[in-house]
Amino acid sequence: MSLTGHGPGAVRLRDLSFAFVARGGGSLPVLDGVDLAIPGGGIVALVGPNGCGKSTLLRVIAGLLEPARGEALLDGAPIDGPDPRIGLVFQEPRLLPWRSAADNITYPLELAGWPAARRRERLAALSDRVDLDPAVTTSRPAELSGGTRQRVALARALALEPEVLLLDEPFSALDALTRERFDLELLRLWHRAATTIVIVTHSIPEAVLIADRVVVLSARPARIVADIAIDLARPRTIEALDDPAAGRASRRIRAFLEDDDGEPTEHRTTAASVRTELAS
Amino acid sequence: MTRVAALSIVVAFAVFVLVWKAIVVVSGLPPFILPAPETVAIRFVGAWRDGTIEPHLATTLVEVGLGFAVGVALALIAGYGLARSVWVERLLSPYLVAAQAIPILALAPLLVWWFGNGLLSKVVIAALIVFFPVAVATMVGIRSVDARLLELGRSLRATRRQVLLTLEIPAALPNILGGMRVGVTLAVVGALVGEWAGANQGLGVLINLARGSLFDIPLMFATLVTIALVGIVLYLMVVILERRLVGNR
Repeated sequence: MSLTGHGPGAVRLRDLSFAFVARGGGSLPVLDGVDLAIPGGGIVALVGPNGCGKSTLLRVIAGLLEPARGEALLDGAPIDGPDPRIGLVFQEPRLLPWRSAADNITYPLELAGWPAARRRERLAALSDRVDLDPAVTTSRPAELSGGTRQRVALARALALEPEVLLLDEPFSALDALTRERFDLELLRLWHRAATTIVIVTHSIPEAVLIADRVVVLSARPARIVADIAIDLARPRTIEALDDPAAGRASRRIRAFLEDDDGEPTEHRTTAASVRTELAS
Repeated sequence: MTRVAALSIVVAFAVFVLVWKAIVVVSGLPPFILPAPETVAIRFVGAWRDGTIEPHLATTLVEVGLGFAVGVALALIAGYGLARSVWVERLLSPYLVAAQAIPILALAPLLVWWFGNGLLSKVVIAALIVFFPVAVATMVGIRSVDARLLELGRSLRATRRQVLLTLEIPAALPNILGGMRVGVTLAVVGALVGEWAGANQGLGVLINLARGSLFDIPLMFATLVTIALVGIVLYLMVVILERRLVGNR
């Protein structure tokens, strides 16, 4: 019952290739013919071996890197640079240390030229959206916990009401329990805003819990080796991971990852994933 | 400032005066070599009352202020260019190093010859001496801007101007202010060196007058005290600015 196929935020990657130019003049291929269609409002998780090019793929979608071949489309039009319809959450919160949490959240609005009164209005809505305690918005990032900092980063990514939210291992620095809570909050957020979500993760349980589809990438240069649909009803809770369908999906993802020649992928073992493994 | 810090400054000053007085008493040096602290204090107050120091101080302060402002302004532009453009760095570095290698003392007479006895030559000399530390600090500061923050700016489609104002300058500010702290005391040195090389008014001129035609050694000491106070006050002003701008990071 996901909201796929409707509304804006459809991302289409067509035969996408990318290579970094090496110092000697040669090139290092990172993406090799990636073909992917994500319907508007869909959630796709990208998993793959370390250094396989997941983050690079995300940066191409974000318009920060230009593909060598192929194209990335948003709602049918080529993405030819950073776009306000695309929000980005990085692996680290990446906050401006000299600004308060509030001024970090409204930074995109400031750059877009919003007057201060409107920014303040929007700040309240955004803090509410990501469950940020309004009392901490006057604090500097250094005074906040890791989780709160990432909450601020999430609010900042939502500031311009993007159609697509790209998340690059957003919760990997958080402890297991906090991470689970953030995964579920991300889902609640999605139910309200219905943005397309592309999330890069190393955690199979996280991918299964969040996504409609888990896309497995090969070692560099990344190709898509599997596109696995997650048949779990929404709204999902943490118990969704106890569902046999979740166990089956996890095992398939793991099999594809271990098939690959790349480094073994670190995967987090939660109580839930142990339970599903024991049950199988 | 805490009470302990304030007290320690008072104690340090008291010890300095007492040691000075002890040296005067024990050595029996004549007042035209080393006047007693109270003699200097009386002369200091007197010279202020009769308006001996004031015009000279005003002249020097204008020289220091303008020299510092011009030096800092040029250094900010040059430092930014050095950090962001390989070509600017290649073109400018040899001159920067050369300017640093030639002592300002050796250059001052030439600059006074070129720019005259008045304000202009002092501003040029002070600006020149302020320039180097501030330019280097600016360059280091701009280069130290986190590349990940610049990527964030790019993803938010920040313009060149917005990147400068919201990312580069705030990130480089601690370095720049550190350079300005060094620069402001050097600006005083520059103004005095310029006055020594040729001037009609200024604290450097007053030192020469007190030692020479006036032969008023306590006045020379009183002028020295004034110069020290100028340096300390200007330094503290930069420190306060620094606290206000970057203190709560």
